[in-house]
Amino acid sequence: MLGAGSSPGRRRSAPVLVWLLPTVVTAAVAAVAVTAATPDSRLPVAVCAAVGTLAVVLVAAEAARRGRATEELRARAVQREGELIRRLTRQETEYIRLAKSVLPAAMARLTHGEGLEDVVNAYTLQDVTVGAEFRSAQQTLLRAVLETVENEEALRESSRRSFVNIARRVQAIVHRQAAELRVMEHRHGNDPAVFDDLLLVDHGNALIGRLADSIAVLGGARPGRQWNRAVPLYSVLRGGMSRILDFQRVELHPVSDVAVIGPAVEPLIHAVAELLDNATRYSPPHTSVHLTAVEVQTGIAIEIEDGGLSLSEEGRARAERMLLEAQAGIDLNELGETPRLGLAVVGRLSRAYGFQVSLRPSAYGGVRAVLVVPQELITTAPATGRAHGIGVTGSSGPEPVDDRRPHTSPPPRRPLSGSLPGPLSGGEDVPVVTERTATGLPRRRRHAAPTARIGVAQTTRTTTSRSGGTTGRAAARGGAAGSNSASAANGASAVNGSAGPGGPSAANGPAGSNGRGDGFGGPPDRPGADPSAPAGAVQPGLWLAAFTEGVNGTATTDHDNGDPTGRDER
Amino acid sequence: MSTAGRDWGEDAPERFYVITRGHTQPAGRAALDLVTLIVSRAEPTPSMPPEHAAILRLCGSPLSVAEISAYLRLPVSAVTVLLADLVAEERVEARASVPPALLPDRALLEAVMHGLQRL
Repeated sequence: MLGAGSSPGRRRSAPVLVWLLPTVVTAAVAAVAVTAATPDSRLPVAVCAAVGTLAVVLVAAEAARRGRATEELRARAVQREGELIRRLTRQETEYIRLAKSVLPAAMARLTHGEGLEDVVNAYTLQDVTVGAEFRSAQQTLLRAVLETVENEEALRESSRRSFVNIARRVQAIVHRQAAELRVMEHRHGNDPAVFDDLLLVDHGNALIGRLADSIAVLGGARPGRQWNRAVPLYSVLRGGMSRILDFQRVELHPVSDVAVIGPAVEPLIHAVAELLDNATRYSPPHTSVHLTAVEVQTGIAIEIEDGGLSLSEEGRARAERMLLEAQAGIDLNELGETPRLGLAVVGRLSRAYGFQVSLRPSAYGGVRAVLVVPQELITTAPATGRAHGIGVTGSSGPEPVDDRRPHTSPPPRRPLSGSLPGPLSGGEDVPVVTERTATGLPRRRRHAAPTARIGVAQTTRTTTSRSGGTTGRAAARGGAAGSNSASAANGASAVNGSAGPGGPSAANGPAGSNGRGDGFGGPPDRPGADPSAPAGAVQPGLWLAAFTEGVNGTATTDHDNGDPTGRDER
Repeated sequence: MSTAGRDWGEDAPERFYVITRGHTQPAGRAALDLVTLIVSRAEPTPSMPPEHAAILRLCGSPLSVAEISAYLRLPVSAVTVLLADLVAEERVEARASVPPALLPDRALLEAVMHGLQRL
């Protein structure tokens, strides 16, 4: 009765009915028993029935109460469990977020130079319900990780810097040494033995320089020196050859007549040197390595082919992967004990300057490395840099000397007069370079002072050197005219006394424009006035002509063909 | 390194040993001295290194080794290596300027001296 009455009409009514049912049944059975009992036994039966029914009612009520309590407990447990699961899920989400997005982002910010504290404080929980403790614990974790990373990074950075620093010092020494060696090579140019030894030292020096450059590049710095002018591609390629051990094996083929802009010169030299070094190192010592450069749509393709072992597909993939990894950035600590710097350096330089490098099997059986220099690093403007004082590069075969071409920017001169070989720097016969031809070659012009002085001497000659005879004088005149530009061979013939009547015409013919004195007749003419003579033709042998004159005893006529009065006197 | 770079100045990136291709050739070089006259016997070809081509162009009329060296701004020893190569390829001809046997006698030398004094 209690159970049935206490919870009518609820969700729990069905279970309560279950508890109510035994009570009702027991009561009914008790009533039936009481009515069926004999009158004298009715009272005890009634008592028994009442007690039994009461007991069933009590038990049923208790059972119902407990059932309700259990139900409540279970509901609460379910609720609690759900709450816990939700919380766990939130924490898990937060944890995954920490690992997958927060930490990498924090690392990125750290590597971009933000302060550690800023990065840690910037980290906030997305879900505030996970609790403050959890948040602070995560921050602690984050801080610990970031501190470790930062320390590591600082360590790596300092080791990298010290690498670069050492490399820079070596580079400085090597550069100074190279400059001094060049001066010495000019100074001792007359002594082949010393010169050859200097070249050996120079070569070794260049090898050291390349190693230092490699270390600097791997350390993330620029290679070596900077060039503030465009350098012809031919010079750049030979510069690369200068820096490898086996440069004799490199065959440099003619290249396009273009120049590389200043900032890209040194990296290109270095990349070419490393590729050449690879090529010569991994091919048999008797084979040659072909170096050439052709123009392609995107720029200039520098090709390096060796005749070594062909690169297997696997090896090629490994090498290219190395290049790619290097482009992504190199960890100095990962280079290992026997570092193969070459490709790593090339990859690094390619990334920094936009070169494209690929390695392919070569038709020669070896490897063909192609380095494409992008168009923007190439200039077709005439480079002020010269291939060693020679204003032409390889592809420009026989070039007519023509000084009508405007010569806008005279190539810079190196102050070499002090280190020229003795006989040239000694007397007054040093050619005075007043202008240059279109190809950058120096052109001699007679200076004014000697002409004037000789003009004076000319008057004395008329009285003193009659004894030379007319033929001698004619020969002298021939030699004089030839002294501008005629062949010194004519001068030599004059020395041998063969200047007969035919001598003058042979000697002063076309003012040496053809240089062979092959009987080109005509009056002795000034070279500048002769239209057939290329005005830019090199004028050999002033001193030799003077010597010739001296031998013939008629020296004073030497310089007079620039002097009309002297000419009239004849 | 900027100072070192500036000190290094205007020179070219290639070194002399690359220009001479590492040749020394003492035999060919011995015949060439400063006053040996060089005259080219071939036209420069496009496949030549620029130094060789420049020598052939310069020596259309005979030039002494010393003059070639000055024009090319290369040390004499480097030039002689190049010339020895060219002589071996018969692209240039080398002539000794005055053979020792033909050295002039005393009277001639005096004439030279007088001539030089009157220069």
